[in-house]
Amino acid sequence: MLLLQYHNLLIQSILQERFAPDAQPTLIDQVISDFDNVTYHVSTPESKTKILISLSVKCYKDLEKYGVTALLQREYEEYAVAPEAGYDFSIQVDLENLPATAEEKETLILKIALLKRNAMAAPFEKAFAEFDRLAAEAAKNSLDLSVPEDSGSEVMAIHYREEESIYIRASHDRVTVIFSVLFREDTDRVFGKVFLQEFVDARRRSIQNAPQVLYSNKEPPLEIRNVPGVSVKDDISYVTFVLFPRHIARDRRENCISHIQIFRDYFHYHIKCSKAYMHSRMRFRVAEFLKVLNRAKPEVEEEKKTSSGRRYGTR
Amino acid sequence: MSQSLRPYLDCVRSSLTAAISLQNFPSQVVERHNRPEVEANSTPEVILNPLHISRNEHEKVLIEPSINSVRVSIKIKQADEIEHLLVHKFTRFLTGRAEAFMILRRKPVKGYDISFLITNFHTEQMLKHKLVDFIIQFMEEVDKEISEMKLFLNARARFVAEAFLTNV
Amino acid sequence: MSHLSTPAVVMGIGTGLTKLGFAGNDSPSFIFPTAISTRNTGAASGRPPTAAKPSFLSGPGANSSSSGGNLASKRGTEDLDFFIGQEAIDVSNTPGYGLNYPIRHGQIENWDLMERFWENSIFKYLRCEPEDHYFLLTEPPLNPPENREMTAEIMFETFNCAGLYIAVQAVLALAASWTSSKVQDRSLTGTVIDSGDGVTHVIPVAEGYVIASAIKNIPIAGRDITYFVQSLLRDRNEKDSSLRTAEKIKEEYCYVCPDIVKEFNRFDREPERFQKYLVDQGLGRKVTVDVGYERFLAPEIFFNPEIASSDFLTPLPEVVDTVIQNSPIDVRRGLYKNIVLSGGSTMFRDFGRRLQRDIKHIVDARIHKSEERSGARSGGLDVQVISHKKQRNAVWFGGSLLAQTAEFKGYCHTKKDYDEMGPGIVRQFSLFNVP
Repeated sequence: MLLLQYHNLLIQSILQERFAPDAQPTLIDQVISDFDNVTYHVSTPESKTKILISLSVKCYKDLEKYGVTALLQREYEEYAVAPEAGYDFSIQVDLENLPATAEEKETLILKIALLKRNAMAAPFEKAFAEFDRLAAEAAKNSLDLSVPEDSGSEVMAIHYREEESIYIRASHDRVTVIFSVLFREDTDRVFGKVFLQEFVDARRRSIQNAPQVLYSNKEPPLEIRNVPGVSVKDDISYVTFVLFPRHIARDRRENCISHIQIFRDYFHYHIKCSKAYMHSRMRFRVAEFLKVLNRAKPEVEEEKKTSSGRRYGTR
Repeated sequence: MSQSLRPYLDCVRSSLTAAISLQNFPSQVVERHNRPEVEANSTPEVILNPLHISRNEHEKVLIEPSINSVRVSIKIKQADEIEHLLVHKFTRFLTGRAEAFMILRRKPVKGYDISFLITNFHTEQMLKHKLVDFIIQFMEEVDKEISEMKLFLNARARFVAEAFLTNV
Repeated sequence: MSHLSTPAVVMGIGTGLTKLGFAGNDSPSFIFPTAISTRNTGAASGRPPTAAKPSFLSGPGANSSSSGGNLASKRGTEDLDFFIGQEAIDVSNTPGYGLNYPIRHGQIENWDLMERFWENSIFKYLRCEPEDHYFLLTEPPLNPPENREMTAEIMFETFNCAGLYIAVQAVLALAASWTSSKVQDRSLTGTVIDSGDGVTHVIPVAEGYVIASAIKNIPIAGRDITYFVQSLLRDRNEKDSSLRTAEKIKEEYCYVCPDIVKEFNRFDREPERFQKYLVDQGLGRKVTVDVGYERFLAPEIFFNPEIASSDFLTPLPEVVDTVIQNSPIDVRRGLYKNIVLSGGSTMFRDFGRRLQRDIKHIVDARIHKSEERSGARSGGLDVQVISHKKQRNAVWFGGSLLAQTAEFKGYCHTKKDYDEMGPGIVRQFSLFNVP
């Protein structure tokens, strides 16, 4: 598996099972976790045919500022219900009132499995809308587009993890997404640095169309230096993705949002995969060394054993 | 193999062969104990002069002989942070399996990355020249392994970064 | 730190099936075969083969000089190209993939594959960042401590998981039985009968510790029952006698009877006991299969193994009795009083009741004999077999139950402990107190 999936596989499989035409309605009560401190609760509180799916996101307060409520209402309008206690957003699906065709069902399942992605998409969508507005304005004022100009648009901060945040800022010719990255462990820090360096170099080397990636250690990038809560800390680095108009063209926006969102998890996943591969190598190397060392032992004559594998008693 | 590696290894090989001339030697300090004198360090007269063999400032070997044991410590080349980390990971992986390696010391001597302790009991069970072979081969392959792992890491990072960015 | 509020991950990885899920749920989120399909390097793939990879697999013949990776394969990503679980079995038929089972007899055999199996379980199936979660893993009885250390090494070094607890399966099965109303004192003493697909274990546990010397295995389990049903169907020339049909019949119709002879007579008297099973063979073809005596005969092989096999002839109740008799004398009373069932093959109706009756018979006979000989009166012995609703995934459920308690995190070894003390710490886990 190279790329992580955007949707939650477990929710997908639960719903697929329930939506199957010959499925018996049963009680469900499952707490499901997802990346970045997201928790789902899938349950059937009222009756077996009504599935309630609740979502809890750690940074929901931040997301609320950027219009997550409206976005989720738009996406899940007919299914949205009042949020379950302790959760931020809930939808309810009635098994007796499902879309007719299999494809429609499949679309609905996928849509629900993408709850987290959609919730996290709110600030991105807002930034893209802002970008559209600024770009239009800039075009109207016939500004020279090539001169970067401080539009003064707000920096949106999403504190999606305990110590890490995403900052998003739109201007008339680009949208900047900044991740603060922190490693709790030395190995990860060193591996992470190698990886991030490659992210930076990738555009220069081979993929010209890629968004520009910048990486800075300790020093927060200029864009967010004035945002409250951003400070110069030794162990935090910042990764900046600069999305140019071609990345946020209308038809690519959705994909772009999904993809940028998953950056941290993707990145950590691959650090872990590399470590796993190193372990494999080291295990192999240890076995090799042992073989060499064992050559130093002179051949011992094989002890005679009975057919059942037992040794004769020592005389 | 580079120009300076061969003489370095040859030197380690002959010094080691000379150093591994061990005999049984019960402790002079504690009755009915028999311990590696180089570790116990309580009878100065049976401990020989330690020997440094350096290829350069980053790569060196310390051989500490005594009457019934030899301690061989190796400092592995580490050019940068990544190599340092990989060496650390690898040696820890090895020492974690020291049980199987018999002659591996669970903790390296200070200033070195990995240490071996060969006692007279080992030489009684194992062939001396093969033990030396093992250490030499170890030194050869460790460097290779570390640089391969580093190459792998860079290659993987590049691959991962490109895979991510092409999909945006 | 708020990340500690995330639910703990409970992973029960067995020889046949892997059960993954989050603590607090009453059933595992994922149940799939413990299988992994890896890319066969070389011929089939378009890429140049990784030198490092095949040499892992080629074993002792590998020549050390050719073993390292070479530059040509430095972009090799074969180690990412694999599938686990059901997908592994699905792709194993396509050329280029080879199917492997990293666990043999409950113990991890291939650590490279296991590490990747975990990698995929965590990131693809459970979708959790291991740094944010505590993990509870299960291990078979008699798992060597070295295996625990290797597991810890992987969990902490590769995945940086926040905390780790490794629990013995039998102990978790005991904990799962606390949900039964029959259990009053919630002790960790008892005999666990764990019957899965391949083998049945009888494991005595005293105060949370497995009495290793007394464990016994029985080579009769779910698969043998299925084969037995199938052979009966074939003998009768039923229209469909596939393994799947046999398995369905086993699961839906079989039960344990108190007495076979009486049951045969009852079947002859009451023809409605014979049932019909409708098999959908696909493509619209449907056939009916008669279900007859196998309804009670199949599970009977636990109690009278001679009807199905010729090489293992000790009935289950007798094995249980022997196991308890082999345990230290001071815990035997507790072991008889708390016989706990776990695993799918103990799910037959009245299985527990029959087992309890048969063990009671053996025990009573022995007490009677000793009373006769000594002339003294005995106070009697309590035999109790505990069935409960969570039997099928008892081990996983027990883990989920324990991992959701507030104390759980206190019992785990954390990443910090590991960094300070090394892998040796996982040799010891404090036992759960009864919540």
